[in-house]
Amino acid sequence: MPDDPEKLVEQVLAARARVAAKLPDIDPGDLLLILQSILRPIGSGKRFFVRQIAPGRYVP
Amino acid sequence: MSPDELFLERLLTALDSLGLEALIVGSVAAAVQGSPILTQDVDLLIRDTEPNREKLVRLAAAIGAARPIAVSELSTTLTLIGGALPVDILFDRLPGNLSFPSLRSRSVQVAVGAAMALVASLSDVIASKESAGRPKDLAQLPILRETLRVKRALEEAAASLGGKV
Repeated sequence: MPDDPEKLVEQVLAARARVAAKLPDIDPGDLLLILQSILRPIGSGKRFFVRQIAPGRYVP
Repeated sequence: MSPDELFLERLLTALDSLGLEALIVGSVAAAVQGSPILTQDVDLLIRDTEPNREKLVRLAAAIGAARPIAVSELSTTLTLIGGALPVDILFDRLPGNLSFPSLRSRSVQVAVGAAMALVASLSDVIASKESAGRPKDLAQLPILRETLRVKRALEEAAASLGGKV
């Protein structure tokens, strides 16, 4: 988890306000997902890997 | 830090202590630059030299993996398995005729805990996946391209504000 989720939200909203108009074809949900992924620092508990626990079943 | 971040830090620390210059490429390179994707392994690109191949054996031991083995009889790619996560080792170039020196010249540094990663640029990750053309590479391309566009838009916005993000 990020140290301060509220701070991350503020950063994401501010970033969205700056770029959303330039990227009208990107799905709004995708844009939020990408922005939070870009702005959340490494070391804050980010996950990069999935592990296969059974055929067709994966967990982070 | 998450177990994933700790694993990357351990891997990078081992590379540094061995003096093995490696570029993180592939999906992990994209993920540590903000792409919202997950993967199953780490891809490293190194120069194909005898000293580097010897260092790979020690790298495997350092991350708790078995000795390097070939992915297949038809591939030059090696893989380290048996550790917390698989690590694939590619030599000299990536699909798209992307050479180690050219990738390195455009690479970015990313801090992972106390370690520093040398990471292929997001543009190069996209180019290599376009050339590789495997279904799992092609499936990631839309979100990787969107991430690159968002990063560029953020950079342009920051530049227009005099560097403030």
